[in-house]
Amino acid sequence: MSKVIVIDDEPFILMMIEDKLKRSKIDVITLRDSNNAVEVIRKELPDLIILDWMMPEINGLEICKLMKNDPDLNNIPIFMLTAKGQDSDEKLGFQCGVDRYITKPFSPKSLLAMVLETLGKDKS
Amino acid sequence: MARALKEKTIELQKKDTYIKAMLDPLWVVDNDNNLLDVNPAFTRLFGYSRDEVTGSSIYDFFDEKNAAIMHASLHEKSEEGMSSIYEISILAKDGSLIPVLISGGPIYINDRIYGKISVLKDFREQSELRTALRQSRDYLATIMDSIQDELLVIDRDYKVVKANKAATLNLRSPIIGVPCHEVSHGLYHPCWIEGQECPAKAVFRTGRSHRTTHRHLDLSGDLKYHEVVASPIRNSSGDVINVVELLRDVTERAKNEEEISRKNRELVALNSISGIFSRSLSPDEIFTEVLDKMIEMMNMDGGGIFFINETGKEMLCRYHRGISDEYVKKLGRIRVGEDIPGKVAVSGQIVTSSNILKDSRSEKSQIRYSGMKGYCCIPIKGKAKILGVFCLFNFKPHFFTTEEENILKSIGDMTGIALENIKLYEEMRALYEYQRKRREEEHAQLLSLSTTLGSAVELKSITGHILVLLKDFFRADFAWLLVSDDDRNFILKSATAINSTGTEIIYRQGTSSIEGYSIEKRMPTVIQDIQSADKFYIHPEISALSFCTAASVPMYIGDKSVGAYALYYHDCKDFKEEEIHFLQIIANFLAVAIERSDFYLSVIRARGLSDAILQSVTDSILTVDNNRRVISVNRAFERNSGIPSQEAVGLTVRDVFNGGDENTDFIMMLEACLEKALAGKSANAEGVMIMAYGNTIPLLISSDPVLDAEGEVIGAVNLLRDISREKEIDGMKTCLIRSVSHEFRTPLSAIVGMTEMMLDGDIEEKKARKYLGIILNEGIRLSNMVSDLLSIAKIESGKESLKLISIDMEALLIRVIENFSSLIEKKGASVKYTVKETGDFVGDEGKLKQLLVNFIDNSLAFSDAGCSIEITVSRKEDELEIIIADNGWGIPEEDLPHLPARFFRGLHGEKVKGTGLGLSICSEIIKMHDGRMDIKSELGKGTEVVLYMPYRRQSE
Repeated sequence: MSKVIVIDDEPFILMMIEDKLKRSKIDVITLRDSNNAVEVIRKELPDLIILDWMMPEINGLEICKLMKNDPDLNNIPIFMLTAKGQDSDEKLGFQCGVDRYITKPFSPKSLLAMVLETLGKDKS
Repeated sequence: MARALKEKTIELQKKDTYIKAMLDPLWVVDNDNNLLDVNPAFTRLFGYSRDEVTGSSIYDFFDEKNAAIMHASLHEKSEEGMSSIYEISILAKDGSLIPVLISGGPIYINDRIYGKISVLKDFREQSELRTALRQSRDYLATIMDSIQDELLVIDRDYKVVKANKAATLNLRSPIIGVPCHEVSHGLYHPCWIEGQECPAKAVFRTGRSHRTTHRHLDLSGDLKYHEVVASPIRNSSGDVINVVELLRDVTERAKNEEEISRKNRELVALNSISGIFSRSLSPDEIFTEVLDKMIEMMNMDGGGIFFINETGKEMLCRYHRGISDEYVKKLGRIRVGEDIPGKVAVSGQIVTSSNILKDSRSEKSQIRYSGMKGYCCIPIKGKAKILGVFCLFNFKPHFFTTEEENILKSIGDMTGIALENIKLYEEMRALYEYQRKRREEEHAQLLSLSTTLGSAVELKSITGHILVLLKDFFRADFAWLLVSDDDRNFILKSATAINSTGTEIIYRQGTSSIEGYSIEKRMPTVIQDIQSADKFYIHPEISALSFCTAASVPMYIGDKSVGAYALYYHDCKDFKEEEIHFLQIIANFLAVAIERSDFYLSVIRARGLSDAILQSVTDSILTVDNNRRVISVNRAFERNSGIPSQEAVGLTVRDVFNGGDENTDFIMMLEACLEKALAGKSANAEGVMIMAYGNTIPLLISSDPVLDAEGEVIGAVNLLRDISREKEIDGMKTCLIRSVSHEFRTPLSAIVGMTEMMLDGDIEEKKARKYLGIILNEGIRLSNMVSDLLSIAKIESGKESLKLISIDMEALLIRVIENFSSLIEKKGASVKYTVKETGDFVGDEGKLKQLLVNFIDNSLAFSDAGCSIEITVSRKEDELEIIIADNGWGIPEEDLPHLPARFFRGLHGEKVKGTGLGLSICSEIIKMHDGRMDIKSELGKGTEVVLYMPYRRQSE
């Protein structure tokens, strides 16, 4: 079973994604507190990370940079799921090694499709 | 008995052969010490024949000294009948003393001792050897002792095996067998001062001679310098078994040398320090240089300067040398009164320590863990108080002499006074600058006044001069010149005798005067007796002078009257025809001059007016002529561009900006506008000008043609408007759109995403209710944001009015805090409030609630978990004072002025969601209540918001 870690400080976002992905038999770990995110990622070694950008403690971009500098974690795909919708934000996201940049509000259905595609479970 | 002896002798004679063959002399004596017999070797050695000596006493063969030895020896040994062996010298036949070793034994006959037989071994050689040895020993000792320097022979255990007299005298006794470090330094280990190895140790280690100047403390703790030459003594297998050390006390010399070099260093340092004080007024330069010089002078490894801050409670390390920034960051902040520097800052007494590690004063000091040993701390004393301290340190022990302490102390004092002088000087300079500026301004005002008046004054002096000439020429007693103004009043322009301001109205319009009459008649008029001519009114001042004849000459230019001049005589005067004619010519000449000057003045006035307008405009204005050269720039241009008018005038626009590599785009834009304007059309463009220091100013360029009377383009006016503020507002608008769209996106995620999932049938019925609840909550969040935006728009538009009622502040506060109860619980925050007799405060309850909600929300949001918030509401005279204080993250100083700006998000904006509208709404609400807001904050410590709103009556 594929494993996905979702990090967002907004509990309902975590709930939505968890509900959506679990239906497709994906193991979902949700994190509200970004403080120990990297430790959890290192322990769980998930197949995919879905990250919010703006979080009170360590922000998503920092987590992304930390992961890209860690040889054990730098090949885990990262989806940035954020309310920051400017072109410049997106550019910065990609510069930091984000694989997909999704702006809120988002369609859980399309998110699932992208997750499945990245995990290699594309039905087609 | 004699026979018995004889028998014995015969027995001995039997052994004659042996005895004769013996190489060593032999004698036989009886108990009375008389010789019985000797052998041939005796004769050979001493020269006496056997017959010669037989029967003689042995004492005959000794001199007095040896006889005594023999006597003592015999006396000791004879009774016991023991054999003996001793050295003695025997008097030979030739009178010489021959040293022998006598070894004798008793002769027993029937258990009775009858005598003694002794071998006298020739001991000349041994004796000589021994003497030579003794002599050489004595010689060595004499040599050693005659050496004035201390000489020690040391073995591998550093024990002294030999020492000369000088060493014995100077060092601790006993000396032999005691380790050298003990005798010389009183130490229990080989000495090691300032990296100088014990010389003996060095020789043992290297096997080579070692020469050094050894700096050490002697037994009484005084500093000594010894020039040491240490050389190895090897045994037969070549191993170093001893070291011989020659120590020469060079303390005096070394101290002198050190003194000289120190004095030299001190002089150089003091010289340059005083140089720094007199040359520089920059405290940074002074302190870093003084610190460097002190370190250099004292041969220290580093140091630092601490200054007491404004509160007087703490000292900060402002300059440092030889220590890492890290160390300074950690220990560069000391409370006054604590640790050594803190204590020095209180006592004002210098502290020195040769080794801080062994100093009881440093028991609780952080310095102990720094590796420093030699240490001193000097107060920087101002006239009335201590300003800070200097610290110097060495990683090795360092001895501070009293003299050095005095010098350091005086440098501390000097620095303090210099620092205060700098402050004083800077204040004086500021004052001087201020006064100089004022004087310059006054001077400039005076200058412009005098130039404006210049032409007028000149004209006045010309007319005055002409009048004097006329008066003298026609021998008149008085002359004046009146001009008519626009209202046909006569104004005095110039007069020969009476005091006049020059603008005084002499005759109002319609007054019947001789001057008026002459103008009316357009010809010179002469009245013989003016006093009796009733039809003319005479100005009182003229009247008082009781003139008789008066002649008035009108001045005309074409048909336009300019005025008239008149001559008055005390006596009667007749004018001839040619005199009248001459008066008329002069009148024409004066008329032209006055007309011209009037025109000139009006031009000046008009120009001054337009110039004043030009100068008072805050936008930069640059006028150019047809040749694209600058005619004028206004003050705003000078101020904004930093280019003075006199430099700009006459240059092309490009040259005005000095080629301006970084402003190429801007110049091209300006030139394009200029070209359009010179072609007769208006032009606008927006550009950015890069200023000195890299500041950029967004500018709006608008160029317009300047047309002459015929409508020809004679130049162009370029107006450069600073549109920073407009740009800022623009930026804020963008910020609004960004932050609003951003803030809207999160709640929209719930509404859009969850609805989609429910429609797709992803969600079971039970969970669907939860989803709907979230959708509702997020919808409300969105709606609140929209209300925020609307309320600020409403307040701004001025349409919002206060719904005034009397408010129970305590009840309101309780309600507001209750609203936050879940958030307070979640954060583990403590919220305390005090409401002190606020009485009836009249205000808009809804708005005040919004105000409190916003501030408390901010305090909670911008704080860590477990934060505490204190709210105090009280009446301060005619105002309601609300204090909301938290111990949260605080606001950086540079953010404070921007807080009330809409959409401003400060340092922590990324961490906390929000629109940046809260404080600007609060600010507007306070304004509506005629109140004011004061925000104090310190990063990492917290924020205190104080709101003041005046009490008002409900009817207001």
